[in-house]
Amino acid sequence: MTILGFQVTGYQVAFVVLAGITLGSAALVVLMPNILRAALFLGLTLLGVAGLYVLMNAPFLAAVQVMIYVGAVTTMIILAVFLSHRVMQVGFTQAIHNPVFAFAAAAVMFIFLFMTVANSLWVKDICAAGPANTDVGVHAVAYALLQPYVFPFEMASLVLLVALIGAVVIAKEDRPGEP
Amino acid sequence: MSHSAYGIPISWFLTVGALLFCIGLFGMMVRRSAIGMLLSIELMLNAANINLLAFGSYLRVPTIAGQVFAIFVITLAAAEAAIGLAIIINIYRLELHIEADKITSMKF
Repeated sequence: MTILGFQVTGYQVAFVVLAGITLGSAALVVLMPNILRAALFLGLTLLGVAGLYVLMNAPFLAAVQVMIYVGAVTTMIILAVFLSHRVMQVGFTQAIHNPVFAFAAAAVMFIFLFMTVANSLWVKDICAAGPANTDVGVHAVAYALLQPYVFPFEMASLVLLVALIGAVVIAKEDRPGEP
Repeated sequence: MSHSAYGIPISWFLTVGALLFCIGLFGMMVRRSAIGMLLSIELMLNAANINLLAFGSYLRVPTIAGQVFAIFVITLAAAEAAIGLAIIINIYRLELHIEADKITSMKF
């Protein structure tokens, strides 16, 4: 199809829309003074990233992203905001500290990263023009997790178990008499 | 094995990943609230995941390792968020604020 004289594919339009959602809401996450709204915009950012995963032929990862990040991590952060702020108090909104210095540092970092992406020959050498069209679906992921990567997989489950118990122990109230 | 009908070169995904990482870096530096810093960490982890998946599916010999590594990153990010938020709640209970540069009781 043609937009403004440019010949574009539907995938390119989808990419631009999803990248715009992702980066726009990510900027709002770091700039929004209200921490609760920042957490809600984090959910939108993670949804945009899930859309980008679909464009990269990784639908299983997109589902995992929506379930774990958007469903669990964002909810957990919002609950922690409720538990660690007094909503009606000053301090629920945070000021932005040293924005000029931080922007300069982030801009320098981005320039370096972008120059690496734009100039490196190895990206053009080892990468194809489009995402792979082979079977990279659920079956391949399951096989990879349970055959060659079974030991890291079990280690990850052990880490999750330890993290769960540790979170409960740390967040538990020690002295029930005090608020 | 791969088709170019998508019209999206890998550098687009890498650029979006780099931008997302730098936004997270910016947020890490301007936020003083511990939860705000945790949000920025999540942004940076997602930028890393975008790169992993992009290389995993754009290589001339496509590999599943990109997706597997992304799953491990997501798992560890969930564990890290749980522990971090538990610590934040505990600090709030002790100090009634979560400003990262005013918390001194964990220092010796």
